[in-house]
Amino acid sequence: MTDTTRKAARPVAPAAPAGPKRAAPAPRRTRLSRRLTPWLFLVAPLALLLTFTYAPIANMLAYSFTDWDGVSPELNWTGTENYTELLTRSELFEVFFVSGYYLVASVVQIVLALYFATVLSFNVRFRNFFKGVLFFPYLINGVAIGFVFLYFFQDGGTLDSVLSLLGVGTDHAWLGTPFSANTSLAGVSVWRYLGLNFVLFLGAIQSIPGELYEAAEIDGASRWHQFRYIIAPGIKPILGLSVILSVSGSLSVFEIPYIMTGGATGTETFVIQTVKLAFQFNKTGLASAAAVVLLLIVLAVTWVQRRIVPDEKVDLV
Amino acid sequence: MTRRTVARALVYLSLILATLVVLLPLTVVFLTSLKSSKEMANGSGALALPDDPLNFDNYVTAFRDGQMLSAFGNTAIILVVAVGGTILIGSMTAYAIDRFHFRFRKLVVALFLLAALVPGVTTQVATFQIVNSFGMFDSLWAPIALYMGTDIVSIYIFLQFIRSIPVSLDEAARLDGANAFAIYRKVIFPLLKPAIATVVIVKGINVYNDFYIPFLYMPSEDLGVISTSLFRFKGPFGAHWETISAGAVLVILPTLLVFLFLQRFIYNGFTRGATK
Amino acid sequence: MNRRKVLAGSIATLALLASACTGTGGSSRGADAEAPDDPSEVKGSITVLTHRTDLVQDGTMKKYAAEFNKTYPGVKVEFDGLTDYEGEVKIRMNTENYGDVLMIPAVIQKKDYPKFFASLGTKAERGAKYRFTDYSTVDGKVYGQSPVGVVPGFIYNKKVWSQAGVTDWPTTPAEFLDDLKAIKSKTDAVPYYTNFKDMWPLTQWTNVNGSVSCDTGATTELAEGDPWAEGADLRVGDTLLHDIVSGGLAEKDPTTTNWEGSKPKLAKGEIATMWLGSWAVVQMQDAAEQAGTDPADIGFMPFPAQREGAFCAVTSPDYQQAVNVNSDHKEAARAWIDWFTDKSGYAAANLALSPLKDAPLPDILQPYEEKGVKLIDLDDSKGAEVKAIDNQSEVGIYKPDYRQELVDLARGARGGGLDDYLGDLGKRWAEARNSLGS
Repeated sequence: MTDTTRKAARPVAPAAPAGPKRAAPAPRRTRLSRRLTPWLFLVAPLALLLTFTYAPIANMLAYSFTDWDGVSPELNWTGTENYTELLTRSELFEVFFVSGYYLVASVVQIVLALYFATVLSFNVRFRNFFKGVLFFPYLINGVAIGFVFLYFFQDGGTLDSVLSLLGVGTDHAWLGTPFSANTSLAGVSVWRYLGLNFVLFLGAIQSIPGELYEAAEIDGASRWHQFRYIIAPGIKPILGLSVILSVSGSLSVFEIPYIMTGGATGTETFVIQTVKLAFQFNKTGLASAAAVVLLLIVLAVTWVQRRIVPDEKVDLV
Repeated sequence: MTRRTVARALVYLSLILATLVVLLPLTVVFLTSLKSSKEMANGSGALALPDDPLNFDNYVTAFRDGQMLSAFGNTAIILVVAVGGTILIGSMTAYAIDRFHFRFRKLVVALFLLAALVPGVTTQVATFQIVNSFGMFDSLWAPIALYMGTDIVSIYIFLQFIRSIPVSLDEAARLDGANAFAIYRKVIFPLLKPAIATVVIVKGINVYNDFYIPFLYMPSEDLGVISTSLFRFKGPFGAHWETISAGAVLVILPTLLVFLFLQRFIYNGFTRGATK
Repeated sequence: MNRRKVLAGSIATLALLASACTGTGGSSRGADAEAPDDPSEVKGSITVLTHRTDLVQDGTMKKYAAEFNKTYPGVKVEFDGLTDYEGEVKIRMNTENYGDVLMIPAVIQKKDYPKFFASLGTKAERGAKYRFTDYSTVDGKVYGQSPVGVVPGFIYNKKVWSQAGVTDWPTTPAEFLDDLKAIKSKTDAVPYYTNFKDMWPLTQWTNVNGSVSCDTGATTELAEGDPWAEGADLRVGDTLLHDIVSGGLAEKDPTTTNWEGSKPKLAKGEIATMWLGSWAVVQMQDAAEQAGTDPADIGFMPFPAQREGAFCAVTSPDYQQAVNVNSDHKEAARAWIDWFTDKSGYAAANLALSPLKDAPLPDILQPYEEKGVKLIDLDDSKGAEVKAIDNQSEVGIYKPDYRQELVDLARGARGGGLDDYLGDLGKRWAEARNSLGS
């Protein structure tokens, strides 16, 4: 490995004279350049970050205090009017009930992912095949997934054909009622994202030292006990991360319902509603306020999670 | 003993069931892509096999009329430049954050962290004004800049990795007279290879699959990427599921091939991307 | 207050953004797009934004451009076909970068037209020659011109309707429902197809406005009255749609409909009827030719309502073409609009009403002439107010959402009754009007 050769090379170079020579003449300048160095590295990343992420957020914040319609050259300060309207119109928050479907779906998703990860961490035939199959949907292009499942839920499409093959002939309109539509869409979401959770869990389980299992086997621990006392503690950090991602993900679902139903028949989510406020009814001011509120909610959820499951492993700093 | 056998059988059953659930929708789309429009019009059931399993007409149609060739070209260019840029930017940021203690360091870290939580769709109007003011609208630069500028995950991956590189290496190089930049270039960067592989995979798949940014920023038809070109099938081929299916398969196929050949790297990539 | 100032003030700390604050705003480059005197002198390259992605994709637009170049050899025309026209143009109009010629999107308020578009001339001179100048006139100047006029109506398959024993156009909604029932019992066809999933076909129902009451002031009525009052045009139309769906006369699963797929189905007689407009006839006829059925089977009928023994049909413009006020090639852009409106044959190719006042009616409307259907032009002087109320109330009469809810209501996927639902719409409408203070 490279690092060992470098270490070996170190003593050869006469470092001693170089050091003091550099430090002695201009301590102030060195200190200054030392202080400047990190910023030199950060200048490009920060510029991009501020330009393409924070400038738009600042704009959004500014718009949320106006009545701007999204395109007109004129707008008026309206103070906190948009926020007052948001908070007094309870129907705007009813769409969060839809998030409930996705929340339930992500519980199912995590449980399934955990189950398959556990099962496949033991010796199973065709293990790599199953692993690949479960993970692959996560890699597929979202537009392609939209088309695949539009065909799946069509009248006389894949699902209907399979059911009639099994002798359960039905002409149920899968996207036809709010319950059925949301369940179907949440199902697609599980189909698509299960793979990521699964692979994360599997990775965590496999990083648990093998001796622990061996010791457990010798002690005669059952599979359940192995799960309970070895696997579960090992995956706790990643489980926490998955939960937090699921909650904030459920609150800001957008792509799948937008492509498949456009929010019809009670499948409208908060983000779709925001997009519609902005683009259909030209209430960009109100929509910006809604986006700010969503951002705050997501931040709050993250903060609560950090409080409950303090976990330095998934922390950046 | 028997209980163990039953349990084993149930486990396999669940795995097979899951396999079916995953593969069925995809298989049907594949089957549909091989059917002729006549078969479709005559009400060929979703599960029916195509009359001619070697009928690739729909692929020809999709590839030619759907302009998939230039789409793959554009995607490739964006992919290479954006991923390359992300690697540079991500590793530099991570190096600066991990190896230096400077004022506002916490603020910088928080800025990057917070950015990951913003629902992107909602700030599009403002983002558009900015992209356009740089004259990048309707050019490949728009998605490239946005992919490089708003990527947090790769910074995170590099950060995790740099932490595991002993600081003593830096010190040694510094004693050799290397300045910070030389240390980054000669010591740190070469040691980041596994992290780079991870970023290439995670970022590459994101870029390949992204829809909204190219959709919004590159309306010209000759600037289509695979997502937008496939999306445009909705119009002219809207009634032809066989062509849409062929297009979908064309888009999925490269992903499948990459996945089959680089499986191990991909798993490691995603696992490392989130944990470490 | 000027938006640019607000922005610049609130984000002054982000110096990088300063360069972003140069977009729209008053243009000093002259706000008129004059027609060129000598076609061969006009030079430049123009981009035309269009919602007709189908015509861009199949090369039809390129053929128009080639034809245009015979008269204007120095102008290079390129097309941007936008799939989600309204959404994408809206974002682009925040900058100066929205093509040279574009269709005026619904989002732009009428009073802002002079800020975004170059004038095509005065109302007095254009009104003598062209239809629909009303719709884009601000302070006596005209800013847009629709290349076609459309008439709303039911597209139907004549064969299916006559198989069901119906030969005369129904004259009341009740009669219409009876006819659909006859189709249901006597043929295999789906009597009515909503195109629910594709959304925009449902917005076509707003075009019943004026056709029911035969009132040229129907738009003013919307602005001043309750659109869902008993007997009001929209209520009559919405009730009919509701009754069609609740009577089981529409397709089985509206949530997975497919617009492209509906065309051959209508041509083949698997679908009997759809409420669209005259513009759709040509598409159905093409579909019939491709499916190998007779294009002459495609029929077109007015809304089932009569005043003084005559049907009425409203003529209205399609998207109106306009010149970007920031365009560097306004003459070339103007030349394109003039040529496309007067000489391209686009209206004839679409079997649509010509925007020229002295042009004859298209063939498709011949039956209208024979049966004495009155064609009326609506007065659009209150059009801007209707739009404002519509947005403020979030009802969206030009948007698909409320009719999707109506269809869901009718097929039992949503709780509540029709009267309550329409009453609530009326209430929101009135509240919005009050809050706008008009």
